[in-house]
Amino acid sequence: MWKEHYRIGSELIDSQHQELFGRVASFIRAVQGEESWEERLDEVQSTLEFMKDYVVIHFRDEEALQKEIGYPWLEKHAAIHNAFREEIREFAQRVEREGFDEEKVQEFAAKVMTWLIMHVGKEDQRIGEYIREQGGQQ
Amino acid sequence: MKAEYINPFYKATIDVFRIMLNLDVQRGQLRVVEELGPVSEANVVIGVTGDLRGSLLYSFPKSMALEMVTIMAGMPMTKLDAFVCSALGEVANIISGNAMTHLSGTDLACQISPPQVFVGTEGTLSMATEQAIVVPLITNIGTLELSVSLTSANGR
Repeated sequence: MWKEHYRIGSELIDSQHQELFGRVASFIRAVQGEESWEERLDEVQSTLEFMKDYVVIHFRDEEALQKEIGYPWLEKHAAIHNAFREEIREFAQRVEREGFDEEKVQEFAAKVMTWLIMHVGKEDQRIGEYIREQGGQQ
Repeated sequence: MKAEYINPFYKATIDVFRIMLNLDVQRGQLRVVEELGPVSEANVVIGVTGDLRGSLLYSFPKSMALEMVTIMAGMPMTKLDAFVCSALGEVANIISGNAMTHLSGTDLACQISPPQVFVGTEGTLSMATEQAIVVPLITNIGTLELSVSLTSANGR
């Protein structure tokens, strides 16, 4: 899923993005696997748990970078992060309450995948452009 | 239904397909239909409210739908299951949202409803009372037919 042209020019953020794409890919593999749902459930649960925490760390680091370089669209970007973090949190609460329904998890995995591609492929690329305009940050 | 409402959707599709799928999009010949109905197997319906009202119908051939999600996920997809259908709904949702942003540049403020996905080519969508314009959006993995049925809320 990860593409080299997603790089924005910050070593930390680029490696976190690669990690996120890798985790989402394993999430999709677990969600779409051929084995019974019970057999895949452990992997689904642990990947979801990891992503919930990792997204918080990554967003925090990416927002700190934006602050450091004086990125002018920082607030709009943070609002997008907040909305997505909230969606993940709500889903995690929902499955805790109602259990891991296969179809609901499949739908959620598709949302996470499209969000990540569009966000890193569009919104985050603006940070990369800004870094390049400023003559390279790191 | 004005033909000028079509351009924002064309622009948004070009942009979203380039970013998400690395695909070029060409516009085919527009046609007017009396009823909003599915053309292909995988369909997404999105409602529009605000200064413009109506519905959008994204109709994907099955092979195109599977290939799109294969490209995004980086692994082969073989059936129109909940994962594939949800991904298609999200792509249509993103295109529609971006088109609404382009429309707001022309002083039209609209909101969209969450995407509804259905599989099959049967029937028409009863909520459509107006004509629709169908835009074929041609890519090298297939043609998405987007039907747009929008009217101005104040009768313009």
